[in-house]
Amino acid sequence: MIKFIGAGLVVSGAGFFGVTMARNYARRPWQLRWLQSALQMLETEIAYASSPLPEALDHVARSCHHPIEILFQGAREELKEREGVTVAEAWEAAIKKFQPVSALLSSDIGVLVSFGRGLGRSDREEQLKNLALTREQLRLQEVAAEAERVRSERMWRILGFLVGIAMVFILY
Amino acid sequence: MATLSVSVTAVIKDTTVFAEEILPFLPQPVRGMLNRIPPIAIDKLEEIRIREDQPLLLRVGDKHYFINEQGSLLDEPRECYRISNQDIQRTLQLISEGSLYALEEELRNGYLTLRGGHRVGFVGRAVLDKGRVKTLKYISSLNFRLARQVKGCADKILPFLFKPSGGGIYHTLIVSPPQCGKTTLLRDLVRQLSNGVVSLRVAGVNVGLVDERSEIAGCFRGKPQNDVGVRTDVLDGCPKAEGMLMLIRSMSPRVVATDEIGRQEDAVALEEMLHAGITVISTVHGSSLEDLGCRPALRYILENRVFERIVFLGRTMGPGTVEGIIDGGGKKLLDRPLTGTGVKGRQ
Repeated sequence: MIKFIGAGLVVSGAGFFGVTMARNYARRPWQLRWLQSALQMLETEIAYASSPLPEALDHVARSCHHPIEILFQGAREELKEREGVTVAEAWEAAIKKFQPVSALLSSDIGVLVSFGRGLGRSDREEQLKNLALTREQLRLQEVAAEAERVRSERMWRILGFLVGIAMVFILY
Repeated sequence: MATLSVSVTAVIKDTTVFAEEILPFLPQPVRGMLNRIPPIAIDKLEEIRIREDQPLLLRVGDKHYFINEQGSLLDEPRECYRISNQDIQRTLQLISEGSLYALEEELRNGYLTLRGGHRVGFVGRAVLDKGRVKTLKYISSLNFRLARQVKGCADKILPFLFKPSGGGIYHTLIVSPPQCGKTTLLRDLVRQLSNGVVSLRVAGVNVGLVDERSEIAGCFRGKPQNDVGVRTDVLDGCPKAEGMLMLIRSMSPRVVATDEIGRQEDAVALEEMLHAGITVISTVHGSSLEDLGCRPALRYILENRVFERIVFLGRTMGPGTVEGIIDGGGKKLLDRPLTGTGVKGRQ
């Protein structure tokens, strides 16, 4: 009886590990998708409301999911609190805070960094071009991340259980 | 002793205003240098000129100074600090809060107003759209003009502006060449008329202010940064003629004040105000009645004797000197010039 319970625990433990790993693969495409919609909101702020950047970043931060809000809130705080900081510097500092809590890869972060270099420093048309370009790049990253997810998610999910069952067989 | 302590507080106040309202918009090396210039120079500082690849220039009173990295003022451009492209870019980011795209109107006009009513002018390459300036890019020069409100500078002319026995206020035109304190005087007039003048036993009246170039009230996001009085409504950034008519309809002012009239549509708006029984106070560029007569719209206004008091400003005894006051018929009301009450360059 105890053996059966033990075997059940091993299989479900390994299975849970696999599912967690699979979920990690799912987080990256989600976050990339949220980032795109956050940038879409920023675009509205810039194109129609002409809000100053700190205000625009604040509005966007309020209406996005965790952890994306850390990026926008962070940039806003840097801009408000550090004297003489440029937008690009504030944005990069915010990315440093955001990266550890995100599921993004360095190629995704690279897209964000180069977006920050143009942010705020030109007229509206240029800003909208920069936003559109960045959204397109993030979309491509998302497609790749999604393909990766489909491949790895199923593998990890099945692998977890299989390893659990294999361990049970070995232990007997 | 008393005067000394007063001037010391004035200097301290100017230094803090400078540190809080101007320095945060300047990029690092420049900010450090300006932080070290003597307080007495800050007291008289009027302009900071930033031109790409050229020396950083300060206009203190009537003199221009270069500045070195230690913050000393120099007469000669040797060893002085030169502005880099990086400095200009950073300044632009700082004054726009990193939102150059939100400043389309300002870029088209070539200036913007900072908190505190200070003015930043800029030039660069104009981008045209159907022959009109759409925006500026490659900005190469910036000019910070420090706003100084001089409360009480209208004291000396106020007694001339009231009709006898509480009959109201005369239509008044202030005529002045640039840099003689025209806007400063108008701002103080508005403030005093709006608050009421205790010494003359006049109660305050509702004043409407059309501030087309945000110079009088120095509005920052619609809120006046200068004290323009408790009964003043400011229509910021609005064309004068249209603004005057809007104010009559919306805010029922007794007095309407505006800066630099002179176009044909202004004359039409003025007539409208007269029929509505509203007092008009305005300014115009010029130094004599003959000057004004050369401009058709103004000639029409003068020939019709719209203004009952015309105040001439000049610099014969320092900025803000009242050179003369005449009534609508051309009769002189002043026999000798009055010194300006500390308008701009205080001694």
